[in-house]
Amino acid sequence: MSIGTPQFISRLVTTAGVTAIMVAGSVGAVAGKELLTLGATLDMYGWNPGNQPGYQNWAAEAVWGNLVKCNSVGGLEADMAESWEVSNGNRTFTAKLRPDLKFSDGSPVALEDVKASFEFLTTSGRGADYEDIEFEMPDAQTISLSWPEPQPILNNKICSANILPMTVLAAGNWDVPIGSGPYVLDDGATTTGSEYVFKKNSDHWNASDYPYDNLVIKVITADGAAVSALTTGQIDATLVAAGSLETVKAAGMEVIQFLGQTPRLIISDRTGAKIPALGDVRVRQAMNMVFDKAAMAEHLYLGNAEPTAQVYRKGTAAHIVDLEDPYPFDVEKARELMAEAGFADGFELEFPTMTGQNFETLLPYVRQQLALINIRVTEVPLSGANAISDLLSGKFPVVLWQLGNDGNSAFQIYVESTVDGWWNLQHVGNEFIDGRWVKIATASAEESAALQQEINRYVVDEAWFAPFVYMGSTYAFNPEKVSIPTQSDAEALTPKLRDFQ
Amino acid sequence: MSSLIKSLLRSIGVVLVVTFATFALMYGNAPGIAQSVLGLSASPESIQQKIMQLGLDRPLLVQYWNWIAGVVTGDLGRSYYTSESVSKALSNRVPVTLTLVLMTLGLTAIFSVLLGVFAAVKGGWIDRVVQWLSVLGTAVPGYVIAIVLVFAFAVMWRLFPATGYVPPHRNLTQWFMSLVLPVSALLIGAVAGVATQIRSAMLDMLDRDFVRTLRARGIDERLVLFRHVLRNAAAPGLTALSLTMIALLGGAVFIELVFALPGMGQLANASAQISDVPMVMGTVLVTIVLVLATNLLADIGVALLNPKSRS
Repeated sequence: MSIGTPQFISRLVTTAGVTAIMVAGSVGAVAGKELLTLGATLDMYGWNPGNQPGYQNWAAEAVWGNLVKCNSVGGLEADMAESWEVSNGNRTFTAKLRPDLKFSDGSPVALEDVKASFEFLTTSGRGADYEDIEFEMPDAQTISLSWPEPQPILNNKICSANILPMTVLAAGNWDVPIGSGPYVLDDGATTTGSEYVFKKNSDHWNASDYPYDNLVIKVITADGAAVSALTTGQIDATLVAAGSLETVKAAGMEVIQFLGQTPRLIISDRTGAKIPALGDVRVRQAMNMVFDKAAMAEHLYLGNAEPTAQVYRKGTAAHIVDLEDPYPFDVEKARELMAEAGFADGFELEFPTMTGQNFETLLPYVRQQLALINIRVTEVPLSGANAISDLLSGKFPVVLWQLGNDGNSAFQIYVESTVDGWWNLQHVGNEFIDGRWVKIATASAEESAALQQEINRYVVDEAWFAPFVYMGSTYAFNPEKVSIPTQSDAEALTPKLRDFQ
Repeated sequence: MSSLIKSLLRSIGVVLVVTFATFALMYGNAPGIAQSVLGLSASPESIQQKIMQLGLDRPLLVQYWNWIAGVVTGDLGRSYYTSESVSKALSNRVPVTLTLVLMTLGLTAIFSVLLGVFAAVKGGWIDRVVQWLSVLGTAVPGYVIAIVLVFAFAVMWRLFPATGYVPPHRNLTQWFMSLVLPVSALLIGAVAGVATQIRSAMLDMLDRDFVRTLRARGIDERLVLFRHVLRNAAAPGLTALSLTMIALLGGAVFIELVFALPGMGQLANASAQISDVPMVMGTVLVTIVLVLATNLLADIGVALLNPKSRS
């Protein structure tokens, strides 16, 4: 058989094909069940413990422990503390540390490390939340953290502190994470920005709840690439865009639909300081009535959403189960309200927009519907370093945003409705809400829920927002590799690391 | 030698101008940067503290001078957001992008010369294929080709990994396999551009008197083509290759995104969006040095190939 004959070419092609398949097989080979490989649609924020967002941050969960962890509705779960108590009118949190805890560098966990970890947070973005803490350590395993005032969101503040050795915090060296979490970073096998590799911390107090011996987090930012990686077995689970739902289902993947966001108009200029019309509740109510929420859920969100009249998620303390929508879709009624208020001719609004907020889907519809009551919307794209500060500056009277609906509804009230809340964009106080907020700080769980629901009803009646639907992220996973029986994320955006079984 | 020194001095000037312009464009956003670093919940006090900590309260020239002084000592600073050393980040990222680009460039040179020469000499269907390829490569963006390649060769036939990069020191075979599709996606457009340049240059040379004279002397046609015609046609090809190298650095941004490769393009894109000044400056510095080095090498190559250009 000479070179160039059909037989030779046929054999060459066959050999090349077999070789390629063998090599590809070795590349695509999926390791045994001891390995969990997660796709992350954004890179992590490095290893500074004070700068760790919750969203998709499995790396932080892997390497660091907390005194306690927050569950999906803001309640507390055990972690480094084996027991704890809230006392002194919600001012003091006392925790008893587990014995024999160790950091990944082999050093024992001491109460001084816990203290240093909370003190370190005074240098973070939420520094003000931790400034006035006083620490007491009555014995070698017990630490009390006390604030001078009652703390309505005490749980959130305690859960947010990652515990590190005080020496590491003092040195400020964030190259390799040191912690007492369920996994330890394998720095040698890690490619920053692409693939983070972890090995199980067999000394972890709760190692049995983290069944995988190895954890790999692959950063895959493009949705198409994430879907390809999932369907070809390169990763076991990832967030996907709603448009990719059918593709991943067809490939045998299972999907969890999180409803952790409530896209809405945030009508922040409620005093009418910038746009007098917005100071009239009838105008704000009219703005609520031009949106067909059922149609939005079906068409804009492809059925992966639920219409809502309130911003607080189902199952949270503030959610009102039997709340009927006071602003059903009724354009004629909305026009009447505008006319009654003396603003039949409407007004101009500028909406700030940023990438990643689904504006390509939302804005055309919202602009068109508001135009029905002569509210004319122009878009102001925000980008770069000033985007967030511009957004929060209060210069926009109304903001269209996909805001989260936190499982800890008290925290959501703090963020959105109290005078200090960063999403209360004008930072204008309100007697009704501020009065109840003070009471929530020292209320029992039942009293707190009642007060939160009063606040909820108030912001609905006063039309502080124009909520559209509950919607959120689509999380796809390979059921042959992973099961996700629980959902612990208070933000309801993705599973937490402890949810992967 | 003096022209080489002049080129080097010019290059240093270009580096200073470009880096200063980049620095100046990002200057003045101190509160915004601090707010972005600290997050939505940052108080005005913590924002002010962060501004001071990052040195963003200093005048532009002082900040730029500090950065240049760091560069000279090999310290490119640390990311505002992740605290990662910029040098370390670049040492991870630059090899990925350079591997992608240089592998594509090498294959582009080989395929372009082959296709360009054959298209010019043989004409007929090869010529039409080159021209068709040129239209295809120009009209279809690399990332579209990439998506098609992923769907066909990774999702349908499972021959290559859909995403990811494996460093060669970890597994040479997997490293090679992880680059096949990204390089292929970049290659089509690159070959399209360079092959047509070489084809045109070859056709131009084949019409010259010296070729007719060589043939009249009975010299072997292969010698005429490869020793004389191709050598004279190589200068435009080399220039096209150097431009392609620069274009590939840009194209790699999209390819890195589609294949989730941890390259410099992804880093530059992500850093620019959040005004991570040290990271942006690091990627700009490396990119401008690569571009200038490419131009310098191309000039040297052209000079070696064509003695007339040395003057």
